[in-house]
Amino acid sequence: MDFFGAQDTARRKTWQLAALFAAAVVCLILLTNVLIGAVYTYTARPSPTGGIDFNAALTDMPVGYWLVISLAVIAVVALASGYKYLQVRGGGRAIAESLGGRLILQSTSEYRERRLLNIVEEMAIASGTPVPPVYVIDEPSINAFAAGFSPDDAVVGVNQGTLEHLSREELQGVVAHEFSHILNGDSRLNLRLIAVLHGILFIGLVGRGVLYGFGRRGVRRSSGRGSGGAPMLALGLGFLVIGYAGTFFGNLIKAAVSRQREYLADAASVQFTRNPAGIAGALKKIGGLGAGSSMSGAAAGEASHMFFGQADRPFLNSLMATHPPLAARIQAVDPRWDGRFPAISGEAADTPADGQPGVSGFAGGGQTAAPAHHAGDRPAHNAGDSLEIHATPDHVVDAVGQLDDRGLDQAAALIGGLPAALRDAAHDPFSARALIYALVIDRQSDARQAQLDHVDAAAEQGISLELAGLLKPVETLDEQQKLTLVEMAVPALKELSEAQYQRFTSNLVTLIKADQRIDLFEWVLHRLLVKELKGHFEGRQPQSARYGSIKPIASEALELLSALARAGSGSGEAMTAAFAQGSAALEIPGELNRAEDVNFARLNRALAELRLLKPLQKPRLIKACAAVVLADGGASARQGALLQGVAAALDCPLPPSIYTAANG
Amino acid sequence: MEIIIVLVILAALGFYAVAIYNKLVSLKNRFENAFAQIEVQLKRRYDLIPNLVETAKGYMSHERETLEAVTNARNQALAGLETAAKDPGNADAIKELASAEGALGSALGRLNMVMEAYPDLKASQNMMQLSEELTSTENRVAFARQAYNDQVMAYNTYRQSFPPVALAGLFGHDHDAALLEFEDSAEIQAAPSVSFS
Repeated sequence: MDFFGAQDTARRKTWQLAALFAAAVVCLILLTNVLIGAVYTYTARPSPTGGIDFNAALTDMPVGYWLVISLAVIAVVALASGYKYLQVRGGGRAIAESLGGRLILQSTSEYRERRLLNIVEEMAIASGTPVPPVYVIDEPSINAFAAGFSPDDAVVGVNQGTLEHLSREELQGVVAHEFSHILNGDSRLNLRLIAVLHGILFIGLVGRGVLYGFGRRGVRRSSGRGSGGAPMLALGLGFLVIGYAGTFFGNLIKAAVSRQREYLADAASVQFTRNPAGIAGALKKIGGLGAGSSMSGAAAGEASHMFFGQADRPFLNSLMATHPPLAARIQAVDPRWDGRFPAISGEAADTPADGQPGVSGFAGGGQTAAPAHHAGDRPAHNAGDSLEIHATPDHVVDAVGQLDDRGLDQAAALIGGLPAALRDAAHDPFSARALIYALVIDRQSDARQAQLDHVDAAAEQGISLELAGLLKPVETLDEQQKLTLVEMAVPALKELSEAQYQRFTSNLVTLIKADQRIDLFEWVLHRLLVKELKGHFEGRQPQSARYGSIKPIASEALELLSALARAGSGSGEAMTAAFAQGSAALEIPGELNRAEDVNFARLNRALAELRLLKPLQKPRLIKACAAVVLADGGASARQGALLQGVAAALDCPLPPSIYTAANG
Repeated sequence: MEIIIVLVILAALGFYAVAIYNKLVSLKNRFENAFAQIEVQLKRRYDLIPNLVETAKGYMSHERETLEAVTNARNQALAGLETAAKDPGNADAIKELASAEGALGSALGRLNMVMEAYPDLKASQNMMQLSEELTSTENRVAFARQAYNDQVMAYNTYRQSFPPVALAGLFGHDHDAALLEFEDSAEIQAAPSVSFS
């Protein structure tokens, strides 16, 4: 599956969604008009038989009513959708909270939670996306979801039952399924779906409200004027009927958009983990568990299409189910399945190896039931190996948003190869800030002391002590490891309060600027961090893609290529050659900007514009960037990390599997 | 005709009310999640204290009272934490925890003063490591507390603003959440009275 294609499909699905929605609204308008017309006719001219003449219903009513009713329906639907849109605008976090999710702290030492966080982190690093925060919903059934407008504000949530009943490899299968939703842009589509559907479902709620109000009034004033009551009752009933029609349309739309994507996500899960037993096992356990995958929370209904398994029991199963039948899904990933579900006892699949309570760091976190590290012949990244990229730009483009078991192995090794102190620091909101500070503090320069002084003066108490402990281990890291640490620290940083976040970012900017010269890699780290934290703290969804072609932003693209070319280690000539390769890949002729002083403000703006390219245009840009970086036949870890960082800032996650060990 | 206008207006008002309700719930969730952070760090602190007492015992057998006071204060604070963790929205439980923490702080302060008389103890490897860890944990507690208080402030401010204030009581958000302020003033005041340095 191609990343850019999938993104594009998700985007086009949005249009399909809009069309279906418009059709549903037109149907609702017609139905409402007929209904109110019928009530009108009934009150104005009761037919002798007591029945309703539907022809009369449509013709009797004055035309002005038609207009008003239609406008009213549109207004109500728009109000309801708009309200819901405001609510989901908060992104993944808002959805997780509305479903009653509890955030798992990154510093947790509870075995099952730690294991889940490790799996999520491994998968995120392997796919090059930021590590999403993880929520737990207190439900005994097995289910999971991913929500968010983009990988930056995405969250993953699982039910308590999922934590308890699944083994590590099954959990990994489920997480891979959710990551596929994030990578393919499904989670963004799903959020829009929630907002749009709310508008349609809402009319049913109005009907229920009218009936309820009527019921109460009817009791209180049973002796009052009875004639007003009957039309109100009819109206309420009618709204209820229309509401159910709305629900019907809504579920049809959900099913149309969602079901195929579930098969795709299952297939992707197998592709990511190379292990059909994981996801198949999880699906079988849903079948074997009494509670299945059902969700009881009130909010779960409107979010049913976001979940891993069917969250509600739909009325017309085959037509309106948001998920394909369980058996069909299992069959698709495990053709040799005998159709039997395992009986699930209350006890969990696997428990901590030797009851070690405080499983901190990564290595102790799982028993690695998953097939990680099984093949000894794979070149994994060991600490000390230097990594290089030996790939063509085309290979790099193909790797965007892709994930396979090799990538997972590599991510596991990459995380495992980090010094334990740094890994732990990245998992704790307190020390994560010190870690980030440590990453941008100069090794040796006059600025170093000024930077340390600034932390002393401006950061929270205790941070400079923490920082002092981290400076030494940070010095041994290569750029790839630094990039990995930044990604790993993101979820812990998302646990900061607003005020703490503001303080952190302002300190970071001061530190970066302290040495009067910004290194391109530092800049990329900062861009990445800002981009990923902004989505969370400012809860704004990313601007929608604006440019259908690179042409209008050619100068911005060339600016970026120039910066990349200058960052190469080569001479002036090599720089020019590298830039020429990039400009050729971009198919836009241009001149290398040789200015020694990089204008970072301009580069920031360029990157912001380039981010708004439509998905199908991005491969060319990534290819051009890769062509510059790989101009002399390969790239060092430093250049590779630069490429990865730039790609990530352009919302194109590059997995670390593009690297190979230099001596491997 | 009028009924439709009324319906639309009612719908708009209804949405507004629901939005207020959801916002209250979400802000409450946030400060409760933030309390979990404090809980982690305080637990760590309470786990360190028995080790501290154990280590000190070997050197200062004549100071049983001081050590027992620390142990008791620690147990009190742990109980307070467990109650507060069940419902961080309960202002009384938070205040209880704060005062138990304050008592623990001053008990530890007294222990520190007494320890000045035992240079061997202060210089022991074990003790140095423990106090280093305690200090670091203290900083983390302060930091987590700040995050929690920020979220509580956000909740309280929203709850008291208009129009939410009109509906908050109806929705079960009828009182402010309490800030977690430790009474370390007692400790600070006690410290200068005996100065060994």
